[in-house]
Amino acid sequence: MTEVSIEKLTKTFGSARAVDGISVRIANGEFISLLGPSGCGKTTTLKMIAGFEDVSGGAIRFDGQDVVNVPAEKRDIGMVFQNYALFPHMTVEQNLAFGLEMRKVAKPEMRSRISRVLEMVQLTGYAERYPRQLSGGQQQRVALGRALVIEPKILLLDEPLANLDAKLREEMRVFIRDLQRRVGITTVYVTHDQAEAMTMSDRVVVMFGGRIAQIGVPADIYERPENLDVAQFVGQVNLVKGTVREGGSDGRCAVETTFGVIEVHSARMHAPGTAVTLTLRPEAIELGAPGKGAKGTVLSSYYSGSLIDYRIELEGGDIIHTQAFPHNRFADKERVGVYAPADRFWLLGAAA
Amino acid sequence: MTPGRTKGMGPYLLILPAVLLLGIFLVLPYLNIVLMSFRVPGQGTPYGVGFTAGNYVKFFTDSFYILQVVNTLWIGLLTTAICLVVGFPVAWQLARADMKFRGLAYGLVLSPLLVGIVIRSYGWTILLGNNGLINRTLLNIGLIERPLPLMYNALGIVIALVHVFLPFMILPIMAAIQGVDPSLHAAARSLGASKTTAFRRIILPLSLPGIQAGCILVFVLSLSAYVTPSLIGGLRVKTMAVTVVDALIDTFQWPFGSALALCLSVTGAIAVVIFARLTRMKWKAS
Ligand SMILES: Nc1ncnc2c1ncn2[C@@H]1O[C@H](COP(=O)(O)OP(=O)(O)OP(=O)(O)O)[C@@H](O)[C@H]1O
Ligand SMILES: [Mg+2]
Repeated sequence: MTEVSIEKLTKTFGSARAVDGISVRIANGEFISLLGPSGCGKTTTLKMIAGFEDVSGGAIRFDGQDVVNVPAEKRDIGMVFQNYALFPHMTVEQNLAFGLEMRKVAKPEMRSRISRVLEMVQLTGYAERYPRQLSGGQQQRVALGRALVIEPKILLLDEPLANLDAKLREEMRVFIRDLQRRVGITTVYVTHDQAEAMTMSDRVVVMFGGRIAQIGVPADIYERPENLDVAQFVGQVNLVKGTVREGGSDGRCAVETTFGVIEVHSARMHAPGTAVTLTLRPEAIELGAPGKGAKGTVLSSYYSGSLIDYRIELEGGDIIHTQAFPHNRFADKERVGVYAPADRFWLLGAAA
Repeated sequence: MTPGRTKGMGPYLLILPAVLLLGIFLVLPYLNIVLMSFRVPGQGTPYGVGFTAGNYVKFFTDSFYILQVVNTLWIGLLTTAICLVVGFPVAWQLARADMKFRGLAYGLVLSPLLVGIVIRSYGWTILLGNNGLINRTLLNIGLIERPLPLMYNALGIVIALVHVFLPFMILPIMAAIQGVDPSLHAAARSLGASKTTAFRRIILPLSLPGIQAGCILVFVLSLSAYVTPSLIGGLRVKTMAVTVVDALIDTFQWPFGSALALCLSVTGAIAVVIFARLTRMKWKAS
């Protein structure tokens, strides 16, 4: 098992910086996601780890050994591609055998390893099929099996679920995560789907424009985003304007808002009177009769099955979104009380 | 006509022009050739009265014609093989995403097709003749003492045919290689294959349909080539196609010429079927 350490990794195409000095240490057996919008450099990073793309600067170490000059086929990685990249002229078994043949594994051991992996990815009995005779989900599992059967040091996955339908995607999420835990392999998972990154990863690396915006466990990323980009990328977020009342040197900061005075965490000193922005996730909000929390007016509501989406204008002019169960409906223009627990507010840039 | 019937007939109506065209200009003449090949040779007329299998007997019992079939097949095979060996690397380079000057290279590959076949073949006679550019140059710089026999033999024909038909080998192979998903190559690398192994085990087998198409095209075109073999082979080396034209036009033996033409077609068809069988791809069959 392997620890991966990436230091100041950079990739330039001409004058454009696709990856701009990213550093991250991935612990042995950890499942880490690279999350970010299209074009932020996720695939390029993965390709550099795999050895398909030359490095313009920085280092990649597997267990302390710099692999930047090691060719792809010598890095001992298992890779799953977005389009599966199964060899169409080979059966499932031959696809799985390919990596073992390259490693000169003896025939009997090869057979037992293949059947073990086929069982693991729940494809026993499909060995003789050609890829085009399999469904998308089955092809995906063959790709996973092919990457795992060589017992690589690291597993790399590039948006492996992007081509599957929503239901299958959720099944495969759980499947991949369980499998990864059982095998205990260090895994880098690329996705632009925040829910996927949140549910699967030990830690998430959020990237924008080739740089890392934040690294943290899913709850950190979601509840304690470092900046507005991160906050908005990982889910719906409400912005609440406020004024600092007391800057506090004890890591706390009292902010005056339409919700009253909220005490939030802040590592930085803020002078009293400074204008700041707090984030508040929609699901932290409770709607009720006027009186509790801030005063608001329902602007519009949208029925979406299990929940109703509300757009509410607060007294100070902030407009917020929230969802509520349908049992307690509010009409448009109705005045409501908008309440959220103080610990669900978050001051952006608090860690800086 | 009921709407239902219109719908059912629609697809057939659409291919009707093509069927008519092929029927009138291909199938009917072919039938006529078959018929002609069984006619009695005429005296002073293209053919006589009545039918006979004698034309075929003449073909199969005369070692001259059998040898000519062998010769023609040999020229076709050699041309195909050389086109494949020369064309594959070119196709591979052209198909690669990072190739520079692709437009220029592509133009060069297509350039033989832009000049008429007669002109190209005459061009080769200028190059290959005893007094031609190649021999004169070699003589002048003293590499050889007597002109190399490049014209009026199978070698000259093959050289010229390779030049003429190379694009028909390169283009299908290039298309096939371009059709291979580049991530397959990367996948093979990630599984431990070197670049060469990945090429041999993945790219090559997957471009086989293009190789197959290119080989069949070049082979069939070589068998039926007339202009190039007749100009370069002259009177000394004759391929089947040249002999067929001789029989039909020079000596006016329509029945025998037709029999020869059919034997050439059937030989070619058999060769193609054998080749297709040998290179059949299991993974493509459903
Ligand atoms: N071979 C290349 N030549 C030039 N620019 C490239 C090349 N490959 C990638 N880029 C650029 O580098 C940037 C990052 O690309 P990358 O493929 O890593 O994005 P990504 O995060 O994987 O996006 P997506 O989610 O769309 O797959 C993009 O702006 C892209 O245009
Ligand atoms: Mg990508």
